[in-house]
Amino acid sequence: MIRKEAVELIAQEIGNQPIISANGFISRDLYETSEKESNFYMIGSMGLASSIGLGVALKNPGKKIYVFDGDGNILMNLGSLVTIGSLKPKNFIHIIFDNQSHESTGSQPTNSKIIELEKIAEVAKFKTYKISKKKQIEKIFSKIKKENGPICIIVKIEKSSVRSIRVDITPPNIKTRFMKSLK
Amino acid sequence: MNKKIQRQIFNLLKKKGIKNFVGVPDSTMKYFIDEGLKKEKILITTKEEEAIGIAAGMSMSNEKSLVFMQNAGFANSLSTITSLINLYEIPMILLIGWRGFLKDDAPEHEKIGEIQPELINIIGLESKIINDKNFKNVCDWAIMKLNKKKVIGLIIKRDFLD
Repeated sequence: MIRKEAVELIAQEIGNQPIISANGFISRDLYETSEKESNFYMIGSMGLASSIGLGVALKNPGKKIYVFDGDGNILMNLGSLVTIGSLKPKNFIHIIFDNQSHESTGSQPTNSKIIELEKIAEVAKFKTYKISKKKQIEKIFSKIKKENGPICIIVKIEKSSVRSIRVDITPPNIKTRFMKSLK
Repeated sequence: MNKKIQRQIFNLLKKKGIKNFVGVPDSTMKYFIDEGLKKEKILITTKEEEAIGIAAGMSMSNEKSLVFMQNAGFANSLSTITSLINLYEIPMILLIGWRGFLKDDAPEHEKIGEIQPELINIIGLESKIINDKNFKNVCDWAIMKLNKKKVIGLIIKRDFLD
């Protein structure tokens, strides 16, 4: 399964609920396959998607908040897992697309091959799942609908040469639409 | 800055509508943070950039937010300021402790203390130094700017040695 397929299938499961997506190819895939106003495309500030998602989750307890993160991204902000795990937001679902590389900068390796992210998330008190095949997506998403967060789902993906278009909405516009969708 | 005034600043900002105080502790503003901890209004993060990310999410949920940090953390956060809160125009107050303000502060603060005014200027962060005398007016100014959806800085000088 490549990232673009996984992003599209998971976004379908999520429907209209808010998604905060990490910079690089993750936001581009989400934009091309599943554009909607409740997507917050974080185009810079690498590492911070889970932190932004935490801020939104704490202030919107009635909504489920989804973060689309990458292995390179979360490795830049591992402290975020400690903060989230300590606060235990019930409505926080952290999806990490793990291709063990910084794909958008030329596929340089990350160390998620050696240090397993799911174990780190477990220690940080997330309920943790792992997906490596398309057919697991529906099953796991129907299961977590009834569960309390924080939940972390590691989605193992393969590298690919498929490229999605850049997000061409201005950042203030991305914000304004997203804020409206939270009301 | 006076202990009581630090506590007053926390309570004043809270009263004026700041709902969230997120950040990394700095001894320069110890009593400000302590007052917030007593009121269970403080969220301590692992890094300043993380704090800005969380405050950005809170601010986008329509709640006024403040991030507190030492100037070392401000230096850590430059890219987050330019590529997140300035780029997306997400309002918040950055309360920054000015280590290295006094020439004989600890050596690790010397350089950042020296370049801080220039750094704030170059990055285009509108800011004011807050002190024992002007704090009421400066808090009013900060709230007025937040209402206009601005990112602004409030600077506390480290005016003592320990």
